[in-house]
Amino acid sequence: MSEEVAVTNFCPKGDVLVLAEVASGELQPVSLELLGAGRILADKMGRSLFCLVLGHNLGSIPPKLIEYGADVVYVADDPELAQYRTLPHRRVVCDFLESLPEPPHTTLLGSTTTGRDLAPRIAAHFDTGLTADCTELDIGPYEHKSKADPSKLGLYPNCLYAIRPSFGESLKARILGPWKNPQMATARPGVMIPLKPDSSRTGKIINVSVNLEDKDYRLVVAKTLREVSKGFKLTEADVIISGGYGLGSAEGFELLRKLAACFPNSAIGASRKVVDLGWIPYQHQVGQTGKTVRPKLYIACGISGAIQHRVGMSKSGMIIAINKDPDAPIFKFANYGIVGDLYQVIPEMIKEFQAIVKIEEGEPVGSAR
Amino acid sequence: MATGTYNIFVLVKQVPDQGSKAGLNPDGTIDRAKAKRMLNPFDRYALQAALFTKRAYGGTVTAISMGPPPATEVLLEALEHGVDFGYLLCDKRLAASDTLATAYALYKTILHIGKPDVIFCGLQTTDGDTAQVGPQLAERLDLPQITYCEDFAIVDGKVEARRIIEGGIQKVITELPVLVTVANSYHALEYKSFRGAWRVRQLVRNPEEMKKYIRTLDLDVIGADPERCGLKGSPTIVAATEKVGDIGGNCCIFEGNSPESLVKDLMATSNVKEYVTALERP
Ligand SMILES: Cc1cc2nc3c(=O)[nH]c(=O)nc-3n(C[C@H](O)[C@H](O)[C@H](O)COP(=O)(O)OP(=O)(O)OC[C@H]3O[C@@H](n4cnc5c(N)ncnc54)[C@H](O)[C@@H]3O)c2cc1C
Ligand SMILES: Nc1ncnc2c1ncn2[C@@H]1O[C@H](COP(=O)(O)O)[C@@H](O)[C@H]1O
Repeated sequence: MSEEVAVTNFCPKGDVLVLAEVASGELQPVSLELLGAGRILADKMGRSLFCLVLGHNLGSIPPKLIEYGADVVYVADDPELAQYRTLPHRRVVCDFLESLPEPPHTTLLGSTTTGRDLAPRIAAHFDTGLTADCTELDIGPYEHKSKADPSKLGLYPNCLYAIRPSFGESLKARILGPWKNPQMATARPGVMIPLKPDSSRTGKIINVSVNLEDKDYRLVVAKTLREVSKGFKLTEADVIISGGYGLGSAEGFELLRKLAACFPNSAIGASRKVVDLGWIPYQHQVGQTGKTVRPKLYIACGISGAIQHRVGMSKSGMIIAINKDPDAPIFKFANYGIVGDLYQVIPEMIKEFQAIVKIEEGEPVGSAR
Repeated sequence: MATGTYNIFVLVKQVPDQGSKAGLNPDGTIDRAKAKRMLNPFDRYALQAALFTKRAYGGTVTAISMGPPPATEVLLEALEHGVDFGYLLCDKRLAASDTLATAYALYKTILHIGKPDVIFCGLQTTDGDTAQVGPQLAERLDLPQITYCEDFAIVDGKVEARRIIEGGIQKVITELPVLVTVANSYHALEYKSFRGAWRVRQLVRNPEEMKKYIRTLDLDVIGADPERCGLKGSPTIVAATEKVGDIGGNCCIFEGNSPESLVKDLMATSNVKEYVTALERP
């Protein structure tokens, strides 16, 4: 494709801005992933990568953002920002964007519950485009030829390509909005690759002012319950046996443990529903608001396969699903599915898997097999 | 607080039924004219929250939808469940609206209809799938918002709610009016009420009466700027779509036999057996 065409219309200027996310005083991994993606976008256009972080007593977080790729880190540090609330955060971000001489070219947030809460408010405030839940980001040219809206016609050299799954993940859509800056997107956690931290990188840290209005206090957070997982490494298991509401009760996990015991490096996973029911602790939760896992083998037992679960495990090497409902969504993306009652299927599976192990152990040295 | 006071709005959208094969093009896109239509599954939770709020604290529930004429169906469905009034914003100039344009049009619709105390939205739609319209609407209306809400109560005139967050939950307190997006961990929508279903049957037979309960609006009536609606008002476009290979319909399913033979069949699939055997040998 020749890209040497005269530039018409709006040529988007501006830099790339990542909104970092801090929860319970900790920088969320998605922020580092966004910096990795943002760095690539900024370099492609020869622009800078900015990062805005909101919170209180941020300590080592701003320098860390520089190590991970930011050229400038803007810091809004205020006791009122210690915990995420839509209105105060939106005020600070909107004020900050308005204070810039020109809007950023691109603004990225994580598609966490926080990012998805905040991003649309900012996009609406600035009447700009926002693409949710992207799995790929890129910069490239775009020529708008459709005459349906003549005001959009033209060639746009540097557009944000926001690429996301659509129609239940069976399609990928490339969404563009080069007509207005900032071009906004949220990106899925666990998808973009962070840069290797480099402590010799230099960058500026600049404080930004926080001016809240009375109406920003309309919502109060009474309590936040967040379980911090320690010690248990779901993400490092080769095999994950996951249980959902189909188990019927907490005791059902006993059977899953027996299945897991067939494999050397295995762990127990769970859907959010059973975690919420208290059947198993949070550190076992797989999905959007739990862990993103990539084991070699994932066996989903009595899990329907809701999108929020799927985003946490769809990249597993092999997915086997056991569900008694042949129409369960999990059968749309598992590699193998058994339609049946997990309490009847799993004992049979245990026999089969144990047999595989036995054959190997009993294998005499030098056997012809 | 006296009953009958809360003005409760609920936003519902009609979406193509992706479960049914009708209208599904080979490339995975949807032919909306042929596809079966349904109420966005996530909006069922919003509907339940609205109806529960009315039942618990009193008030009226108004369902609002934006879409082509058939979208009246979801408003009728809402009425069958016990909603009091329905409004359909229907205008050719709304075609190809992205979330920003949709939120603008719905914002003008709400201003036209009245002053809500609480607006319930679904978490997301199955066709747009962005979860953006709710917060964008809250921004236009300058309201606080509770997204991912899974429990909603009004205590002494204040809202007490529980919402989902990364790694846990959060309890929040706020004032009315407020916009709420309801998570799918909220209570499932109850069955249609007998009274509601009967009422809709009567209305369908009596178009004059129907107009009192289901009204159709257009951009001129609500005073919306057509430049900010539809294609023109949408800052984003879908530039290209691409089919994703490995998802959808490639699952090898074992079904119909005894569990024992199902598992044997699974293991006999050379792929699985080899794969699992390889796992065993580090
Ligand atoms: C903001 C947000 C974040 C979320 N984050 C997550 C997340 O991180 N992780 C997550 O998992 N979910 C998450 N959810 C919840 C998600 O939407 C689903 O509600 C949840 O994953 C459903 O869990 P489940 O599959 O165990 O239960 P269900 O959907 O109830 O499915 C149970 C399944 O078990 C089957 N079954 C029943 N009995 C048997 C039996 N005897 N044998 C075999 N099969 C049986 C049924 O057919 C059914 O398919 C989130 C939701 C929201 C709104
Ligand atoms: N055309 C529409 N008519 C009515 N409500 C809508 C419409 N589009 C979106 N909504 C509401 O906004 C929610 C989120 O939609 P979305 O941002 O498209 O995922 C939906 O669950 C609805 O409650």
